[in-house]
Amino acid sequence: MSDRSPIQFNEVNERQGSFLRRTFLLGGAALAGLGVLGARLAHLQLIDQRRYALAAVANRFNDRLQVAPRGLIVDRNGVMLAGNRPSFSVSVVRDVTPDLDATLDLIVRLLPDTAERRRRIIREVNAAPRFVPVPVKTDLSWEEFARVSLFVNELPGVLATMDEIRFYPFGGSFAHAVGYVAKINENDVEAVREEGEEPPAIYYHPGFRIGRVGIEKSLDEDLRGRPGYQRVEVDAEGRVRGEDPEGSRTAVPGEEIRLTLDADVQNRALEVFGEEAGGCVVMDVRSGDVLCLVSAPSFDPNLFVGGVPSSVYSAWADYERRPLLDKAIYGTFPPGSTFKMTTALALLDAGVDPSERVTCTGSYRYGSRTFRCWRRGGHGSMDMHNAIKNSCDTYFYHLCNRAGVDRIARVAETLGFGHTFALGISGQSAGTVPSTEWKRRYTEATSWDDDPTWYPGETLSVAIGQGALAVNALQLAVMTSRIANGRKAVRPHMVRSVGGVDRPREAFDDLPFPDQQLDIVRGGMAAVANDVTGTAYRASQLGLGDILMAGKTGTAQSRDYRDGESRGPRNAVWSRRDHALFVAFAPHDAPRYAISLIIQHAPAGGAADAAPRAREVMRTVLLKDPEMVARMQRRPEPEGPNPQGEELVQE
Amino acid sequence: MTASAISRPGERDRLPVKLSQIDWRLAGLIALVGGAGAMMLYSVAGESWAPWAGNHLIRFSAVFLVMLGLALVDVRWWYAAAYPLYAIGLLLLVAVELFGETRMGATRWLDLGFTSLQPSEIMKLGIVLALARWYHGASAQEAKWHWKLIIPALMIAVPVVLVAHQPDLGTSLLILFTGVAIMFAAGLSWRIVLTGIAGVLVVAPMMYFFVLHDYQRARVDVLLNPEADQSGAGYHIIQSKIAIGSGGLLGRGYGLGSQSQLEFLPEKQTDFIFPTLAEEFGFLGAFFLLMIYGAIIAISLRIASLSHNHFGRLAAAGVTATFALYVLINGAMVMGLAPVVGVPMPLLSYGGTVMLTVMIGFGLIQSVRVHRYLELPKSRGVI
Repeated sequence: MSDRSPIQFNEVNERQGSFLRRTFLLGGAALAGLGVLGARLAHLQLIDQRRYALAAVANRFNDRLQVAPRGLIVDRNGVMLAGNRPSFSVSVVRDVTPDLDATLDLIVRLLPDTAERRRRIIREVNAAPRFVPVPVKTDLSWEEFARVSLFVNELPGVLATMDEIRFYPFGGSFAHAVGYVAKINENDVEAVREEGEEPPAIYYHPGFRIGRVGIEKSLDEDLRGRPGYQRVEVDAEGRVRGEDPEGSRTAVPGEEIRLTLDADVQNRALEVFGEEAGGCVVMDVRSGDVLCLVSAPSFDPNLFVGGVPSSVYSAWADYERRPLLDKAIYGTFPPGSTFKMTTALALLDAGVDPSERVTCTGSYRYGSRTFRCWRRGGHGSMDMHNAIKNSCDTYFYHLCNRAGVDRIARVAETLGFGHTFALGISGQSAGTVPSTEWKRRYTEATSWDDDPTWYPGETLSVAIGQGALAVNALQLAVMTSRIANGRKAVRPHMVRSVGGVDRPREAFDDLPFPDQQLDIVRGGMAAVANDVTGTAYRASQLGLGDILMAGKTGTAQSRDYRDGESRGPRNAVWSRRDHALFVAFAPHDAPRYAISLIIQHAPAGGAADAAPRAREVMRTVLLKDPEMVARMQRRPEPEGPNPQGEELVQE
Repeated sequence: MTASAISRPGERDRLPVKLSQIDWRLAGLIALVGGAGAMMLYSVAGESWAPWAGNHLIRFSAVFLVMLGLALVDVRWWYAAAYPLYAIGLLLLVAVELFGETRMGATRWLDLGFTSLQPSEIMKLGIVLALARWYHGASAQEAKWHWKLIIPALMIAVPVVLVAHQPDLGTSLLILFTGVAIMFAAGLSWRIVLTGIAGVLVVAPMMYFFVLHDYQRARVDVLLNPEADQSGAGYHIIQSKIAIGSGGLLGRGYGLGSQSQLEFLPEKQTDFIFPTLAEEFGFLGAFFLLMIYGAIIAISLRIASLSHNHFGRLAAAGVTATFALYVLINGAMVMGLAPVVGVPMPLLSYGGTVMLTVMIGFGLIQSVRVHRYLELPKSRGVI
């Protein structure tokens, strides 16, 4: 307290006082700032804690999806039609490979065919993220895999892994019915999105396949199973640090699908086609089980699993005989004479007496047109039984308008034509059954100036299975089954059980046809096959004791013909030839199985081409049935009708 | 009155007395934070002393001794060194502009051969000392509103611009706000303060559009909507919030912070050390740390008010302001309340330079306390 230095106390007080106040404020501001931080901390850690904890987990764990093993597809006896086989592949992980060149040198020594891809492999490995395995070669043979595995210690960063891929042991036989799987593409993703959902994550897994055709497609969801996932702990670069077994879930394999098809029958059917194109369907006439659904020519569905090379696909797509089209359910043909049973039933329904006779001279005049019978010289006097047996066109020309096209159409639909069925796979065509109503709608829909009226003259073509009639092989088999069965309108189905659980069956409707009418028709069919004068006699001998087949031949004019060119079989140009058809059921006295077989653009016609093949298939079918075999063994081979015997009956 | 031993002339200059005048509570709290830093660095290195925890502890011990040593330095030395230090800092900043090393897009370093120097760090101290000295010589009226105030204004503006040009937005803001805090504590007129605040509110958006570099603008964008750029600029903020949030109340346990252990949180040893602590020790741990920082600030401000000389008061207040700004800016940054500007958490983060300057600052504060009764008459007679 000296008075030497002039200390202005008021100044001192002012400066100090103001400093105190303001420092207080600053301190308050700082503490308020800390308070805000504390509040934010509380918000993040106490209120939003769950959200961040989840995010932390999401950061930290990756769920590695694993594709579930796809369900097996087996035939009626448990023979595998579609399964999974191991596939070995070799990959390289850049992160763990110190010297890529040295590693590749060794790999090329072990797998010589990777040498030419070496540059591309190097590029791919360098382009991929460091720790993602890049495939060097897929689908190794067991030997190659073993070789690589031997040297795996000298190959750091090289992974030899085993995956499962889809496999079809019978290749082409089941290519259409069982179908195939292929990789996901944008359309599949779009299809799910269109339903308002997001595709499941497994869609994007490189090993996931989706069914494209056949059973693989229609029952895809059952076959898929449920993907498993392995929960791994990853760091910020995605490197795996450890596993979390509790968060992992094993995959659930897909369901096993048991079909009604029989592998032996199916294989035999494809075999008998040889180079010809067409389709074959075999049904059990009591239950509607489909034992055979074949389309020829076929292709190897195994190629789709890994990806069809485009050259192969173009070859299939461009081939005239269309291996990719299913000719059992999709391709439609005019039924030709195989339709005559339908016409006959319509006639009987209209009150025509089956013993009424019509004289066939080889040509028939109706109105201003002349219709020809296939036999130039005519068949002579025909009743219904013989008309069916000899496949006489004139008989039907003459009588068809007693029934009228609408009645014929009605009977046709009752027998299954014009319908699709809940078969188990999609892709059936309904075909066409003409009628007055149909013609009116058809001419309205197409803007041609055609007359919508149905003229009775058009019925003649329909009566013999031509005209606008279009049917597929399945419908022919259904018709034959229904005629053979006689009581019930049998419906075809292909799937017996899914995952061990039988598919429920709806009861069949009753057929409206009286037994006597059916007997006449069936009798005619029996004569076709077993009467010396039947059109398919020679080709129908099963050689199975007293088990006899009953059938009907057909030769249908194909629509591809140029005016003026001679149609008919034996034409040099394949696409101009007529189709050959044959339907049958056996045994004719206690029907069990029905078959339909179509040869597209056949070289020689229904009797010569379709019937013998159908017989072969029918033999296979019957021989696989233990009851039929027992029946054969019980009765000795009787004196059958002697091919060299009775002379042709002249009318 | 009985003269107590300590008030006898010359007593306060004796070493043992000086040592007793050091605020050991403050020193203890500082050591606590430094130790916490070492602990966290040990954890994020995967339970290892290398590469951070060991160094941190060694350096911390060294600068702790530096702090104690500086506490013994008479405040008059600080006073004398104020303007020279400021001038040197300014020169070095200019030198950096002309000859500086550019690292990671920023020119902040001067290579001296044996070490690298960051002049902006020197400036943080220099500005405090220079402003404190200037205001010590000014009267209360002048501090309130006078044309002479252009001097402190320039003293702040020039280095701020130079540093912002490096570009080092974080440090320039630190210097700016520290300078403003000192001007405020020294008695700037309220009218100017409020006008200034209003001005900032107007200028800030304009700065956003016209002055900020692209990447700086991006950082502001990211602040407002970090989810928009999850793997780029938004990544830090999102990961930081995740780390903090997943800590919950009690934390995930020491050494068990998955986000930092698994490297999801970047720069976890420097700018983002606090989220790591929050993740491992939860709300309780993190809030406790904030309270310690609060205590350090409060004690330091109290020391400032105790000083009998204006220089000491303002210098201590300035250092405290800088420290508080570190904590508030880093805290806001890691919690998504402020854009990422690269300001570390003092004494917690790994980094020698910031630790050194912070501890030198605390040495100054301790010195102010030890020498609080000194009167510095080097002015127009006002203490």
